[in-house]
Amino acid sequence: MQLPVWMECLVWWRKKPPVPFSVLFKKFKSILERNNAILELIADMGDKLGGDYIYDRQYIFASCEKLGDQVFKLVSDLSLLCQRKNVALFNAFEGIQHQIAEELAGRRTLSRTDHILPLAELTHDLVDEGGNKMASIGDIRNILGFAVPEGFVITAGAYFEAMEQAGLRKLAAETTRRLCGNGGQGLVEEARRLRQAILTMALPKGLARAVEQAARHLSGNGREMLAVRSSAWGEDGEASFAGMYESVLGVAAGDIPAAYQQVLASLFCEEALRYRLHRDQCGEEPAMAVGVMRMVDAAVSGGLYTYAPLGEQDQAMVVSAAWGLGKPIVDGTAETDTFLLGRDPPHTLFSADISTKSSKLCLDPAGGTRTLDVAPEARDVPCLTGDQLDRLARTAMNLERFFKRPLDVEWAITTSGDLVILQARPLSIRPRACALRPDVAEAARDAPVLLSGKGITAMGGVASGPVHLVGEGEDLSDFPYGAILVARHSSPRFAKVMPKCRGIITDVGSATGHMATIARELRVPALVGAGPATRTLRQGQEITLDADHVVVYAGVVEALCRNELVREDVFEESWEYRTLKRVLRHVSPLTLLDPKSEAFRPENCKTFHDIARYVHQRAVDKLITLAETHQEITKGAPRKLDTKLPLGLTVIDVEGGLDPAAGPGADEKDIRCRPLKAILEGMNISGMWETNPVAVDMGSFMSSLTRTVGADMAHPARLGRNLAVISKEYLNLHLRLGYHFTVVDAFLGGSINDNVIYFRFMGGVTDFTRRSRRASLVAAVLEQFDFVVEIKGDMVTGRVKKHPTRAMLDKMFMLGGLIGYTRQLDAKLDSDEAGQRHLEHFFNRIAAVKETRE
Amino acid sequence: MIPDTPDTRAPGPDASTERRRTSILILDDEPIVCKRLKPFFQKAGYEAEAFNQPAEALARVEERRFDVVITDLKMQGLDGLAFLGKVKALYPDTDVIVITGFATLETARESFRKGVFDFVAKPFKLTKILDGVRRIEKERGLVP
Repeated sequence: MQLPVWMECLVWWRKKPPVPFSVLFKKFKSILERNNAILELIADMGDKLGGDYIYDRQYIFASCEKLGDQVFKLVSDLSLLCQRKNVALFNAFEGIQHQIAEELAGRRTLSRTDHILPLAELTHDLVDEGGNKMASIGDIRNILGFAVPEGFVITAGAYFEAMEQAGLRKLAAETTRRLCGNGGQGLVEEARRLRQAILTMALPKGLARAVEQAARHLSGNGREMLAVRSSAWGEDGEASFAGMYESVLGVAAGDIPAAYQQVLASLFCEEALRYRLHRDQCGEEPAMAVGVMRMVDAAVSGGLYTYAPLGEQDQAMVVSAAWGLGKPIVDGTAETDTFLLGRDPPHTLFSADISTKSSKLCLDPAGGTRTLDVAPEARDVPCLTGDQLDRLARTAMNLERFFKRPLDVEWAITTSGDLVILQARPLSIRPRACALRPDVAEAARDAPVLLSGKGITAMGGVASGPVHLVGEGEDLSDFPYGAILVARHSSPRFAKVMPKCRGIITDVGSATGHMATIARELRVPALVGAGPATRTLRQGQEITLDADHVVVYAGVVEALCRNELVREDVFEESWEYRTLKRVLRHVSPLTLLDPKSEAFRPENCKTFHDIARYVHQRAVDKLITLAETHQEITKGAPRKLDTKLPLGLTVIDVEGGLDPAAGPGADEKDIRCRPLKAILEGMNISGMWETNPVAVDMGSFMSSLTRTVGADMAHPARLGRNLAVISKEYLNLHLRLGYHFTVVDAFLGGSINDNVIYFRFMGGVTDFTRRSRRASLVAAVLEQFDFVVEIKGDMVTGRVKKHPTRAMLDKMFMLGGLIGYTRQLDAKLDSDEAGQRHLEHFFNRIAAVKETRE
Repeated sequence: MIPDTPDTRAPGPDASTERRRTSILILDDEPIVCKRLKPFFQKAGYEAEAFNQPAEALARVEERRFDVVITDLKMQGLDGLAFLGKVKALYPDTDVIVITGFATLETARESFRKGVFDFVAKPFKLTKILDGVRRIEKERGLVP
């Protein structure tokens, strides 16, 4: 095998005398540049999940390739700089690269190899593991927060393992292929044979044990009955396979393995095979995940269609309900009450058709179910109260908005009065009024426009309802159900009313903020940065928000809203969206946080971001040690710079950055490097460094935590080694203060055209919200000082160039103040308003200092 | 290529009395692009048709004229430049926006030489392509 180029270099290197510092420094600089490029690429990919962009699979492939290439080169660069092979780091890189390749190849690298996943961990992110139906139930429970039966899913991975071990995976594929080839000859016999084989196969021992154990636990050691439900890939999706797969109800814990196999076998029942044949799905391997859930001891059960299929009532949903368990209702064998309700709040009851309900299905304490007589006095009364209907209607509308489809919802009300959602699947009959007709476009054309063209789509979609204006710090507990929230600033505290509100519009806000993230998760249409929204829109005014097109119409544009429910494809369910999201799991999370912890090792790099972080840290460390131990290779000896503030700064003077007369213990007086001088002055003079800023009344914000963190960060031991590489005009500064991480790269004082400052700021230990707030604050400051700013998550980069040297030095001074100011700010940014206050405070402070200086 | 200028957007759909809608044909062999662009334009008040197959799109433009054509450049079968050449030959006053994931200066130059109205690199923001269409409407007097 041929040695990679970088290894050859290493071999060459060992034989040669030490490399000149200028060469190593060049390598160091290229690491920094590559690191920046990687972080920007990662952030760029993350942005694409926002729904604002059109991208295709080509983009995903190309970005992954570019990123992989850059990260590999970054690791190689570090090997050159450190003259080490870094095997562990290369291995980590290979591992991540492999996982990404598998995701892209569509081999659904099940991110979880578990046989069993508790419902509490399941959302659509794990749709491949849990199957469609159970993933939806997971969303309903874990994202929307409605009650569903307790349970777990036996994953698609478990299915593959069982089939593989029994030698049936190949047989199933061959059978399917054969049937597709011959137009389905002998399908009945083939189906019977396959099903029989699956019913009688032996489950892998580990799997059987895991299933039995989970079932025993779920049933409370056999006290409660369980339901076993199919959750195949694609079931209830575009291809519905409705009703083809089996569900087994009222199963005792000990019988779960048998019921499991029964459901698995239904994957190859006649109807399903025929369906696949006709839908031309022969090439796709099917898989069956299976949900196991506690049976709900229901007092009342039923179904709900969010659109009445009959078409008489355009704007109605229909509820059917009966006493006891729901199976007879779903099967259509029970006498049921039928209610027609308005789709819009207050969900008026249009009609109630009460039938005589003489029998009901109940759980049999001895196992299974049995039919009982309904008590005479209960037979002819409605089995749902007005309150219960209202609760059902609201819940169903929330589900519909989330899934963006008219839905068929199965529900139950327990003996203690709790509403439980058993399942929600797309309604197969599309409401008459939903067809995308030309009048949809007409309606949009003719509706009066209130706001248009200004704002960023944080979450796409259409919503209509009355405006509800929310003032700063206003109590949200009585936010009206079904309204559209309109506020000056976006705020994560809106999260708690998102299930109640239909849409969000803010005057100011960012699409990468925390609120936007939550809105996307809950799929609430949201428009931020919309300018005069709070001034234009009136309290209670009916509006329609079209976040995709950045338009707000007066009144309810019915056609637009309905159209929202018949999107041919929901973007969040597309291959592109899901693949990018899955790929990003291996790319963007940062798990290596603390360079001082034991865990800060190459083996622990789980994502490309981790690798970039690790390499950057090692490169900075290396440059410092290099300078310390190989003084002969550096032109200017490295010095500990004695600064007024505890910065722990090591300085490498490449040329003319320090007074030549200064000894090894140089201090600030000896600095000749103009950008460094300016930034240190900013830190010192502006008075921003103090742990307790004076002019701001922090009051209760100054929690004890803040104090602790503040004091802790000021301690020199926490500061570690920071590095500045300088010349007379050049500064490359790496500052890690606490968990904040700042890079400044500046060249000032040559010709005006060469003047440039690059500033990057990231990190922090607080939650993402506060870090994002701090990012917005830093960005606002930089913009004020003419920087071209980009915010990606909590990383802010700013660039400014070609201003006169004098003005550039002022900017450096300001940066010094900013670095000092923000280091003790994190924990205090507990509201968007606090961010605004701090911004003003900072500007005032800098302006004042500047005046006194002049 | 035009720079990203989200804030200089033309005003939204206005309450015109004109009933004729601007018609758009979309051609891209990546289904996701069609699936997202078509409903997007329909909801914005346009008449939109989308095709994954260049041959089908070609057959369609031979049947009728569209005000705007949005096409990918690199596709299996017929390439976007050839398609746009045919469209321009049939209807010189149809405006074409090229969208491509392989944007180079060369392809951009070539596109503009063939009379393309706008050249948009993928991935792009939805509002950006809407901008392009609105500018066409303005220049062609399709909106009052």
